[in-house]
Amino acid sequence: MNKFKSMEDKLGLNKFKPSHETHLKIRKEVNGKKVDEKNLVENVLFVCPAKVYTYDENKKEVIVSFENCLECGTCRVAAPDEVEWQYPTGGFGVTFRFG
Amino acid sequence: MVEEKFDVIVVGGGPAGLSAAFVAVKAGLSVIVLERGDYSGAKNVFGGIFFTNVLSEMMPDFFKDAPLERNVTKRRWSLLTSDGEISGEYKFNKFNKEPFNNSFTVLRAKFDKWFSEKVEQAGAMLITGAVVDDFIFDNGKIKGVKVRMDDGEIYGDVVILADGVNSLLAKKIGLHKELQKEDTIVSVKEILSLSKEKIEERFGLNGNEGVAFEYFGYAVKGAIGSGFIYTNKDTISVGVGVTIKSLLEHKINPNDALEAFKNHPVILPLIRGTEQKEYSAHLIPDGGYNKISKLYTDNIMVVGDAAGFVNASLFHEGTNLAVMSGKLAGETAIEAKNKGDFSAKILSLYEEKLKNSFVLKDLKQFRKLGKTLEKNPQIFNKYPIILEEFVSGLFTVDGEPKWQKEKRLFFELMKKESIFGFIKTAINLRRVIL
Ligand SMILES: Cc1cc2nc3c(=O)[nH]c(=O)nc-3n(C[C@H](O)[C@H](O)[C@H](O)COP(=O)(O)OP(=O)(O)OC[C@H]3O[C@@H](n4cnc5c(N)ncnc54)[C@H](O)[C@@H]3O)c2cc1C
Ligand code: SF4
Repeated sequence: MNKFKSMEDKLGLNKFKPSHETHLKIRKEVNGKKVDEKNLVENVLFVCPAKVYTYDENKKEVIVSFENCLECGTCRVAAPDEVEWQYPTGGFGVTFRFG
Repeated sequence: MVEEKFDVIVVGGGPAGLSAAFVAVKAGLSVIVLERGDYSGAKNVFGGIFFTNVLSEMMPDFFKDAPLERNVTKRRWSLLTSDGEISGEYKFNKFNKEPFNNSFTVLRAKFDKWFSEKVEQAGAMLITGAVVDDFIFDNGKIKGVKVRMDDGEIYGDVVILADGVNSLLAKKIGLHKELQKEDTIVSVKEILSLSKEKIEERFGLNGNEGVAFEYFGYAVKGAIGSGFIYTNKDTISVGVGVTIKSLLEHKINPNDALEAFKNHPVILPLIRGTEQKEYSAHLIPDGGYNKISKLYTDNIMVVGDAAGFVNASLFHEGTNLAVMSGKLAGETAIEAKNKGDFSAKILSLYEEKLKNSFVLKDLKQFRKLGKTLEKNPQIFNKYPIILEEFVSGLFTVDGEPKWQKEKRLFFELMKKESIFGFIKTAINLRRVIL
């Protein structure tokens, strides 16, 4: 059996060069309606293959660990209205050595 | 950044963009390729098999120096049940000789980089670390693109959008709508290292031979998706692909689907003793023929995954459609240059060429696949279970007379699914898979 099972551990295998600026944002409002961030994370953004989005119960907001992003686009397609998605600036983000 | 104006600007240095650039620059056009990764391939992930039938026309000797992993001589399609499999496979030794059935496993970080060097050697300019964010308009007409860097304006007569599945640019210009959850597959993959000798022993291979195994049925906890295993030189690629819609409905995270697949009793022995090297994720456009974007407009052509050119049937092809569409867009750019006209009227030739090629012909043939699978979820949950009971029952050695066993199993099977149900599903599948 392979050593790493959790996503956190697996992400450690990859080569990342984190930017100081996030390329991923969650909109606070969609069509004038406040976004239910907890619901969004628990029922939609859980599909992120790098667990970039978690909900902070104390701060009552989404934490975006953009430095772990694999740049796949799943969150964009899963929540097109709520996720504001860009590519990281050239030179930053994940660099696959195998691909 | 660069002062001059180019005949062709290619956005995206994957197989589609590099093919377009190669063809155009070979004909003497000035070409620039803008790639967001630190090198071509740095952001790219696939299974997989690179199908080289079109590439070999462009570069007949490519296999002499391309970084190929293994020649795919053995393919297996397997229906996974909860603890076993029913499979079919071929292995042909003739596929281990030139032209190697035009099927090679590759690692994209190496292969795309090699391809980009060929394109540079042919005379194109390649700029890496260059994210294109927008177009430059002049009087409503596209004159070039904006790169996210200082002085990042690049001017050119035609922009070939080869920016892959997420194609934010084709969306921006209104050529395609947002990807839908039901026809977008997210795939997660791991690279596992294993010695060359062990790979050959474990998979029954000689020298450079390689395998491609595809798993359907109960591969990803009953969700609509599949799993795969490909052999590289001294690594194995293992991954799963599931539609985003199905993951949301089943509340499964892609990594959990991958872990379930890797722990399946059929898969486990194939990856035993390996060491994990990389974990990646990538989307596959699975909308097929009906979801293909509008392919051109004034000064723009869309190629490869950006246009939705993936044939996700049993054949699992994307690379050759990417290379072919890139090649045809490159040829169209040459004709437009000769006429001095890059308007939609001339660029419509690109669509004509695609219609006459296997790209649109194949996609048209398989246009109903996604919808059929979605409408027949029994293929992924119910059928693997009842088929397993039937086949394993039939071959269980227990002294029950054969005629009695066959009759009993048949009646048990019919209790679970009517013969009409089976036939209907089989016909539906036959129509869309082959
Ligand atoms: C898991 C998986 C398995 C697959 N298996 C197979 C298989 O076995 N066989 C097969 O034939 N096909 C397979 N495919 C499909 C195949 O990989 C694609 O169809 C093919 O890579 C498409 O090539 P492309 O050049 O259109 O896009 P890509 O290869 O995605 O290239 C797009 C390029 O554009 C760059 N880019 C994107 N946006 C910008 C921007 N704004 N500015 C600058 N650069 C940008 C990217 O970095 C990238 O280099 C698989 C796909 C996946 C995800
Ligand atoms: S792009 Fe992919 S990896 Fe990055 S946050 Fe979105 S879903 Fe997660």
